[in-house]
Amino acid sequence: MRNTVAVVSALALSASLAWAEPSGVFRQAHEVGSGSGSTLDPISKGRVFQITEKIMSRLVRPDMDGRPSPDLALSWSANEDATEWTFELREGVTFHDGSSFGSEDVVYSLERVLDPETDSPARSAIAMISKVEASDEDTVKLTLESSFADLPLLLMDYRLRMIPEGAGDTIATTGIGTGPFRLVSFDAEGTTRLEANMDYYDGPPGVAEMEIIGITDGQARLQALLGGQIDMERGITAQQSVMLEGSDRFDIQTIPTGNWRGLVFRTDVAPFDDPCVRMALRLAADRQGMVDLVMGGGAVIACDSPVGPGDQYRAEIDCPQDIERARALLAEAGYPDGLEIDLHVATLEPTWPILAEVYQEQAAAAGIRVNIVQVPSDGFWNEVWMQKDAVTTRWNERPADQALNEIYLSTAKWNESYYKDAAFDALLAQARQELDFDARRALYVQAQEHLWETAGTLIPYHVTRLVGTTARVGGLDAVENNAVRWHRVTVD
Amino acid sequence: MLAMLLRRFALGAITVWIVSVIIFVGVEMLPGDACTAFLEREAKGRILENCREDLGLNRPAIARYSEWAANAVRGDLGVSANGQKQISELVGYRLRNTLLLASGAMLAGIPLALFLGIVAALWRDRPADIIVSTTAIAAMTIPEFVSATLLILIFSVWLGWVPGIVLTSADAPLADFFPEVLLPIGVLTLVMTAHILRTVRSSVIETLASDYSQMALLKGVPYWQIVFRHILPNALLPTINVVALTIAWLLGGVVVIETVFNYPGLGRMMIDSISDRDLPVTQAIALIIASVYVGVNLLADLLTMIANPRLRTMHMRRK
Repeated sequence: MRNTVAVVSALALSASLAWAEPSGVFRQAHEVGSGSGSTLDPISKGRVFQITEKIMSRLVRPDMDGRPSPDLALSWSANEDATEWTFELREGVTFHDGSSFGSEDVVYSLERVLDPETDSPARSAIAMISKVEASDEDTVKLTLESSFADLPLLLMDYRLRMIPEGAGDTIATTGIGTGPFRLVSFDAEGTTRLEANMDYYDGPPGVAEMEIIGITDGQARLQALLGGQIDMERGITAQQSVMLEGSDRFDIQTIPTGNWRGLVFRTDVAPFDDPCVRMALRLAADRQGMVDLVMGGGAVIACDSPVGPGDQYRAEIDCPQDIERARALLAEAGYPDGLEIDLHVATLEPTWPILAEVYQEQAAAAGIRVNIVQVPSDGFWNEVWMQKDAVTTRWNERPADQALNEIYLSTAKWNESYYKDAAFDALLAQARQELDFDARRALYVQAQEHLWETAGTLIPYHVTRLVGTTARVGGLDAVENNAVRWHRVTVD
Repeated sequence: MLAMLLRRFALGAITVWIVSVIIFVGVEMLPGDACTAFLEREAKGRILENCREDLGLNRPAIARYSEWAANAVRGDLGVSANGQKQISELVGYRLRNTLLLASGAMLAGIPLALFLGIVAALWRDRPADIIVSTTAIAAMTIPEFVSATLLILIFSVWLGWVPGIVLTSADAPLADFFPEVLLPIGVLTLVMTAHILRTVRSSVIETLASDYSQMALLKGVPYWQIVFRHILPNALLPTINVVALTIAWLLGGVVVIETVFNYPGLGRMMIDSISDRDLPVTQAIALIIASVYVGVNLLADLLTMIANPRLRTMHMRRK
């Protein structure tokens, strides 16, 4: 009975959404991360996510729990060993320019990502796809190099958006997609205007127009929200949230994410090449203290695993501070009088210097003397990160398999800790081949536990995102950025 | 006079050229290039090669500079990093917006500063002077980003009279910047008024104490006649140079204020282009700012010379 009621009210809701005329203007800021290199090409480094997420669709999108759910692909199935995947596409979908969406567009979009000449940053996410074919107009077949049961998870990647066949050279400025909003004008450093796409496959959006405004300075973005000039800001810090709390003019969404910050110790150079030293470094950290002091409580403790709290493969590990054991491990490794390390920190990520200072205090108890070396933010990724022995790092959420493979596999491009562990590599390879969910989960958990034993990376927490909106905004899903259904948003 | 003008002009051109070389060498010496700045941690392998090829960064620095300089002399400043727009057009709009901000601040600030400075000097050590001078010192010492944030809080968040942050695009018609531009103008006016009025005040006080003022006073010339005929013309001469420097500072782009208010002017563009290692844009802005400094200072010297016969004749005599 309850189910029937739920279904009926859901139907009524979707019907009322379908009939309501889109109205109002929703304004949002973005940080112009790529400056004049900003583009609408979803697979370019300069993509402006706050725009592409609204104008383009993926094959598969995350549902409210982060599991794969249909977007442009209605259903999918794999052969027995999960090396061949068939995706049935949604019929009757049109691009913003009026052309119809079909399997050729999927082939084109995915092949463009896989093209070694373009070398898109998104390529490594789906590198296991060896062939993309259109079986017929509404069916696409993907052939993989080896078994992989979680392909749909990877196709939810925020960059893998479908563009019209042959549009690669123009997509950077035209932004033609199948999303709930269509581009009116693009100006990354000024105001980008979008309008409702009345032909969106899930019904017309609730908002008639969107303005995505480039505001580089975080403080200015907060001021704009406080003054009601924008309706939403995704980068509110715990300290800033005080200004929004308790006001009936604003709402705050608290969303746990898989984004992490941490300290990286290169496992290929002394003294960090000794697993005992690495374990000692990580045991010296009081993670709850870090969450409270650095993030104002706005984070979920991590035990050096990059897999976020919302991920189905996350390992539950307990990792309290253990000064005694850290000291014992250091003595065992030949440092009975403690250890002195240089930690390179930039202000590129505003929380890094605080994190470094908190760690410095905590580690001192275990006889680890941390010298904080201030380095310029300019050129940090090229001159410091993966160059110096101990540095700060940050990453955005990615599915378990991708996080572990892209950053810890011995052959990974972004293996920031130079971590080389045959046992770990084998676990990941095995997990990919494993078709049974529980068995696969057990393998990913084992891989994360292996990291806790041996890794060179200290990941104290996953960041909880605070999204501030004005009170006139309705229908905004309280989920990770990647999963928001933009056509359901309304403004009064 | 004309010869001197020509000489100063030539010197100015050389200064601008030297600035362009310094900026080029400076940006080249910073770690990384436009591609590593853009690609960040993805700056590896093929994608990095592609980017460097697109932007022509594979060629030696000397070749890139001489090509840029040859084009710049002809008035061609190149195209933006994404190849979509002419830099002269991009920078042109930013320059226009900075001019709007600067002229607003000057129109409000210079008369205000002159008036307050003279008042403070004539009523020296009286309540009027104490109030004006203390406020000026406060306005000068409070950092711009603090006074800006305070003004936003009061006038935008609490009172809701004017928008706090500028959301207008760089290339929008000038009228669209009202009323958003009012708060940044207010903050700028606060800072520049304080600077100028202090110079005016001390200059007027100095002139008041001069022998000819004392003489006139002893001769029984009416006080206000002394003030208007003898003191002000002499006292305001030194302030011309301070005003010129302030104008140059305003036109050079007021980075902090432009950032806090998200104002699309030259200053913010300069900072952004440096962090993007976008040399063509950096160079174009440096050229404009250097020219403005040289030009405004030349103009100020000229005005001083016209207003002060002694300087003119001194120059003649030296010849």
